Amino acid sequence: METSWSLHLLSEILSAFSTEDPDNLRNVVNRVAESVDAEVAAILCEGQISWCIGLSETDQIQLLEQAKQQPSNIPIRSGDLHACWAPLGSSDVLFVGRLGERFDLEERALLRAMARSIELSMNMLRAVTSERQARNDAYQQATHDALTGLPNRRMVLDHLKATIDHLVADEALVTAVLFIDIDRFKWINDAHGHAAGDQLLIHISRILTDSVRHEDLVGRLSGDEFIVITQLGDRHATNELARRIIETIRQPIRVFGSELSHTVSIGISFVQPGDDPSVVLENADMAMYRAKALGRGRYANFHSSMRVLAQQRLSLEENLGHAADNGEIRTYLQPLFRLSDNTLAGFETLIRWQHPQHGILPPGSFLNQAEDSGLIQEMDMIVFETGCSAIAKWQQIPGLEHLRLSSNLSAHSLADPRTKERIKAILETTGINSCNVYLEITETALVEDIKSTASNIIALRNLNLRLAIDDFGTGYSSLLYLKRFPVALLKIDRSFVDGLGLNPEDDVIATTIISLARALELEVVAEGVENENQLDLIRELGSDYGQGYLFGQPMSIGDTERCFISPRRPHPAVHTTP
Amino acid sequence: MGTESWVKVGASTKPGSAEALTEALRALESPAPPKLVVALVAPHFDLATIAEGLYEALPGTQVIGCTTSGEISTAGAMANALVLWALGGDAIRVTTGSGQGDDLGLRNAATEAAQCLDQLERRSNTVLMMLSDGLCGDQMEVVRGAYDVAAIDVPLVGGCAGDNLAMKHTRQIHGRQVLTQSVVAAAISSERPLGIGVSHGWTAASEPMLVTGSKGNILSSLEDKPALDVYLDFFNPPENAKTDQTTFAAFAATHPIGIRRRDKIEMRHITGFNLQTRELITIAEVPQGALAFLAEGDFNSVLDAAAQSVQSALAALNGEEAVGLFLFDCVSRRAVFTEDRVHEETDLITSTCGNICGNIPMAGFYTYGEICRTKGAGGFHNQTLVTLAIG
Repeated sequence: METSWSLHLLSEILSAFSTEDPDNLRNVVNRVAESVDAEVAAILCEGQISWCIGLSETDQIQLLEQAKQQPSNIPIRSGDLHACWAPLGSSDVLFVGRLGERFDLEERALLRAMARSIELSMNMLRAVTSERQARNDAYQQATHDALTGLPNRRMVLDHLKATIDHLVADEALVTAVLFIDIDRFKWINDAHGHAAGDQLLIHISRILTDSVRHEDLVGRLSGDEFIVITQLGDRHATNELARRIIETIRQPIRVFGSELSHTVSIGISFVQPGDDPSVVLENADMAMYRAKALGRGRYANFHSSMRVLAQQRLSLEENLGHAADNGEIRTYLQPLFRLSDNTLAGFETLIRWQHPQHGILPPGSFLNQAEDSGLIQEMDMIVFETGCSAIAKWQQIPGLEHLRLSSNLSAHSLADPRTKERIKAILETTGINSCNVYLEITETALVEDIKSTASNIIALRNLNLRLAIDDFGTGYSSLLYLKRFPVALLKIDRSFVDGLGLNPEDDVIATTIISLARALELEVVAEGVENENQLDLIRELGSDYGQGYLFGQPMSIGDTERCFISPRRPHPAVHTTP
Repeated sequence: MGTESWVKVGASTKPGSAEALTEALRALESPAPPKLVVALVAPHFDLATIAEGLYEALPGTQVIGCTTSGEISTAGAMANALVLWALGGDAIRVTTGSGQGDDLGLRNAATEAAQCLDQLERRSNTVLMMLSDGLCGDQMEVVRGAYDVAAIDVPLVGGCAGDNLAMKHTRQIHGRQVLTQSVVAAAISSERPLGIGVSHGWTAASEPMLVTGSKGNILSSLEDKPALDVYLDFFNPPENAKTDQTTFAAFAATHPIGIRRRDKIEMRHITGFNLQTRELITIAEVPQGALAFLAEGDFNSVLDAAAQSVQSALAALNGEEAVGLFLFDCVSRRAVFTEDRVHEETDLITSTCGNICGNIPMAGFYTYGEICRTKGAGGFHNQTLVTLAIG
């Protein structure tokens, strides 16, 4: 005996539900109508029509109006709809309407069974959807960065592994990993707050996403480190992408009323079949450090020699953390001479690290790491304090009362409002005459955050300190800050002094700086004076002071005292006894 | 308020697109341009040339069209022809639309095409004619998508474009555009009656079987056995039809699958197979859970169905005279008749009309599936003849 047609149509409805496609409830409504040759099917939930086929908007309003009474006929424009109402849970209802024939007993039984099936299936669908959503959320959290929404380290590594696994030696394409790090991000966080730092991270994540193709991957490894995994035609195209990213990110943005100027450094590592994903990331990281060492805001391609350098750098970073506590930070002094009478005017403090294994290290080998880690502030203060102690002691010697001290202040220290209190305490403890203290600041440090820097500089000026612009002419060289800040002295960078008499452009620059200083009534120090010819030229151009190996190389405080201070001590009177 | 409607049909078997169009257009000459031209185009023609030529010749006329697997004109069944069906008269209003889709977006494409109804100045009787890409997903979705707009008041008729059973790809025309994977539609409203008829005449050959695996237009299993194996075991077609897609498609054209519905059997055309997965590919869904039959065509019953379809359409004119017919005739029916005797179907249609209302212009095409929704919410068919009679 052939089974009932309605059993199979019920079976079709049950089969039609798919947990893969929640939208197919719409199709289920169609199938209900199609199964009994009805023109209309609708699901009514809480007095509203959730789904409806076959009725115009006007007819749907009429259906809603009559839903409470659940009549057996509903007149519409096309005729009388024979109605079948089947409960769908406690408050909802499945409505099926047909022109022509009334629903017989078997059809009504079928539609009630379908309604029950739909109800159960909808509940199951909701549960599955909710569970799937929870699973997706958990996956999203585990694999994506919450702030930027970018893939995180785990997903970056997974993607990189999959990329390498499917890599074939293809000369037409190179696969590259770009390791992008925001230069001095800690400083931005310290100076502007973490909220501003977060905005910058989001801003950069968008730039990166916009800079690459849809099929490339942009991820955030941690903090200020981003990754791009891309496939391009050749290495040149990859370098061009890095250059474009750097240029785009370099554009200042306004965050919470402040203008942030920032750069990124990018390391590039090219991927070969069989590479270890972690090693590829490390390589790109090393190349990024190379880019930073080149002067930030640059990119560099990985080379195997960088691994040795990176190991040294890592070791250095570990030791640097304890250097201040272990008393390994040393203050060196370099003399400054007044050119008008060729007399000793004072000293500039210079930092050195007495490394336990490598001996005395120059600032170039550790200052970047110190700045990135924020240790630079502590070092600034150690050097300043020891310098002040020495000069204050020497100022007691007759004839050296006006001995001056120049000490470098990093951008970190300059931006930190607490610096003023620490400097004030050092001035008071050491007893140095603050009128003879010059704080040397680079142009870059001044313009990085001109607003907060201005208030700190004014606070320092109130301590009767003087402000000197170090390496003048190599940075932003804006007349704006010469006007806004209480600058007392400009230092002509050694690169211009080197070229004096040899490079006409350097002659013009040095002349211009000195003329500018004259017009603004600022003192001028020429750095890097190494021979008599340079001395004659800077004197001729009108520089007030000279500094360089010709006058004396940087040396420890003890050596400085022996070489420059002791000879200037008055000789004690000789008494003879009869 | 207009009272006149007319239909003219032009046809040509000239091989070149431009010359065929010129010849076909000649038969459409009339004092007033038609409101709608439906172009039925053998696949070898350049559709862009035809669409552009129609626009130049009849700039104010709405145009839809598609490629076919054989054409029908007043003269009877044709092959490799261009047939133009023109509808005009002051009783007629027409708007057209199209929707671009793929196998996932077919419902939305049909909805978009059907939205031409929203711009139509409605008269007493309205119908939505649709031409879709039959090789693009589950064609049930075309009916559902169009029904979302047309609703209960507007019947749907139409057919799936063909490509002479190559089963590769079909094309559609809307205005000057040539489309693929699309649905094109013409909303026709008339002061005069419109009649629709549908009939097939196929019979079940097998015992009923439960559809145990199916998704969209892929039929995976019958009674938990691979659908292709069940099909081949039952019909035992020639050996090369078991491995060659083209030979199989030709065989399957006369051996469809029927699905048990409330008070009828719905036919599903089989277009191909997947030898690896042992699945059958159908033109529209064979729903999982349904009761299915393997069916075959009997010459006489299929022929009789043609007369029934036309008679039903003419009867729906309520005594008014027909001025023209449009026929959506399944390509599988043509296969049952064979090329030698295919004219017998069109002869029967002509004589059926002649008995009722004399000779009238008619056109149509052999389709990969037919649309006819006059009752209920469904309306996708296979192996049928759908007739639209213009009163």
